[in-house]
Amino acid sequence: MAKTVIEANGKNLQYWRDIWRYRGLAAILARRDITVRYRQTFIGLGWSVISPIINMLLMSFVFGYVADLSTDGQAPYTVMVYAGLIPWTLFSRNLQIASASFLTSAGLMKKIYFPRIIVPLGTSLAIFIDTLISFGVLLIIMLISFFNMGFVPSPRMLLLPLFVIIPSLLGFSTGLFLSPYNIKFRDLNQAIPFLINIGQYVTPVAYSFAVACASVPERFRFIYSLNPAAGAINAFRWCIIPTNEFHMPSFISSLVFTAVFLPLGIRNFRKGERNFVDLV
Amino acid sequence: MDERETVLKIENVGKKYILRQKAPYPVGGTKSERLKYNLSLNKTVSEDFWALKGINLEVKKGERVGIVGRNGAGKSTLLKLISRITEPTEGRIEYEGTVAAMLEIGTGFNPELTGRENVYLNGAILGMSREEIDAKYDEIVDFSEIGRFIDTPVKKYSSGMMVRLAFAVASTLNPDILIIDEVLSVGDMRFRAKCLNRMSDIANDGKTILCVSHMMNVIRDLCDRAIVLEDGRIVHDGDVEEAIRLYNGKSEGFKAGHYEYSIKNRVKGYKCDRLVIKSLDIVGNTDSVYKWNEPISFKFNVDAFTDEENIGMRLRFLRDDGVPVATAFIEPFANFKSGSRGDVFVTVEKHNLAPGNYRCSITLVKGRPYDIYNNIDSINDAFFITVLNVGSDEGGVVSDNAGRLWADSWGRSRITDVRAELKQGD
Repeated sequence: MAKTVIEANGKNLQYWRDIWRYRGLAAILARRDITVRYRQTFIGLGWSVISPIINMLLMSFVFGYVADLSTDGQAPYTVMVYAGLIPWTLFSRNLQIASASFLTSAGLMKKIYFPRIIVPLGTSLAIFIDTLISFGVLLIIMLISFFNMGFVPSPRMLLLPLFVIIPSLLGFSTGLFLSPYNIKFRDLNQAIPFLINIGQYVTPVAYSFAVACASVPERFRFIYSLNPAAGAINAFRWCIIPTNEFHMPSFISSLVFTAVFLPLGIRNFRKGERNFVDLV
Repeated sequence: MDERETVLKIENVGKKYILRQKAPYPVGGTKSERLKYNLSLNKTVSEDFWALKGINLEVKKGERVGIVGRNGAGKSTLLKLISRITEPTEGRIEYEGTVAAMLEIGTGFNPELTGRENVYLNGAILGMSREEIDAKYDEIVDFSEIGRFIDTPVKKYSSGMMVRLAFAVASTLNPDILIIDEVLSVGDMRFRAKCLNRMSDIANDGKTILCVSHMMNVIRDLCDRAIVLEDGRIVHDGDVEEAIRLYNGKSEGFKAGHYEYSIKNRVKGYKCDRLVIKSLDIVGNTDSVYKWNEPISFKFNVDAFTDEENIGMRLRFLRDDGVPVATAFIEPFANFKSGSRGDVFVTVEKHNLAPGNYRCSITLVKGRPYDIYNNIDSINDAFFITVLNVGSDEGGVVSDNAGRLWADSWGRSRITDVRAELKQGD
């Protein structure tokens, strides 16, 4: 029989073992998230398709048609916007759910033990499943573009799985890092959606990275390109759109951010996990 | 010594909470003190509070330990530490195998999901694997008596159905150590009995159990050892009956056998402007424990603010879960003069109550004691008594070998003065 030791301020090496033991719970939580979201809706999972498409059409209209921004190459504006929305959604939703995980599941966490990180992991899994649906939509859009405008995507598309992980992990780690502060200062819970909203316009989601860089004054260009989300998004686009240039500094910035915030985030989350029951 | 292996060991465990309260405004302070208060952003004072301190406990395999104590004594904190919901501030807890808690069952139920989906969700939350739930699924549905509603969203269930399903899931848990916290105060009487039976089955299965309950009959039925917590410390560890006695004596925080009353002890609506029952003392019995045939005596102190004539009283006995069991009526026996104070002595010669814990309420009535519209003062839970199991040699009922003297199925009151007569024909 396995022995469990609970000690004041213990290092708790069992934590990682427990995550593995409770992996089934993460899957069930993910399933619950998706099932509950579309319960009693008429088109159900269709909403996962409709909402990004509407978003894409809206942004393409505003930035591509009204503002008449260049697509930076021969890709249709809609494809470019959609290829930006996918990684941005991965980043922002992971950030949001990870940072709020203590608040959304407080009821559960106060009653039953399981490694708390299972909660954001489960939700993150649900987000990933949503993304798979978005990929289906992307394929259809690309097919339409192919027949309409002769757009041929880049063979670099095969690298996409890697570039799905980067924005997810970036958002997830940052969210974990913020999560314990969210317990004490609920302001954060108000501020994060707001900041994400701003971020969506500051970051080249609805327009290309090249266009953004061109309009930023020379001396701020480098600082601008350090936006880690921009790096992740541009890399994602690079996989799909042949003419999209790979931008190394911003990509490295994404990697460095992720590498720094992942351990910091986990550490912070663990710290929050220890005492949040007594604070909430 | 007990040779069974130790499965749970708690060493010197303490849990500290920091209470933050709004600092009081320095009313009598100097100008600079007031200014400092007004300008400070952090108007709180913190205070350390030890919910548990110096807890040492060793539980052997197969022991069924009851944990009793009044609210705030630290029972739930202790269970939370063992079930790893929160971490101790100091000390060490060690256990073998798995621990699962049946704490407030139904946690994690999602109203949008169907009964079936919730069984899987709840099972996973409680630490069961999919295969385990698959294997027990039929048993769970069967026990819950949900029947064909199992594929209906849980939000359409009655609260009773919800609780039944939750208990059914939780009771199929198969951990090495099972923690039960007040789960049985749910459902209708019949289902509650079914739950209790299931719990007894689990208990008799040789499983290690930790059980918190305010229902002493549950503790008595399920546990073979009990600890009493008081202000975060263990004050008793061992015999169950002794623990219940201690709990009864302490349950209101007064010294045993003496009770004082305030407006809180009364049902809303009593203005306390006519006759007021101030305090009560048990007479001739130090620990409020009685045999079934032992008289109960007490006296209470009454302040009269008006002239009252023809005062009678009612004395009610309620089970510890609040179910009324018996009432004694005392026809008008006193007149009170305004401004006077008097002691009323009451003796119940023969109560005939079955073994168990009782809460007693006293009510002063103008005129006949059956008139519930003429109550003048009434104290709920005026005092607490325990009626003991005694063997036949002490005038009790005949003992069976299980050590149980009074079967629950015999109810709560022993009817005496019964005669049977045989008239034989030719």
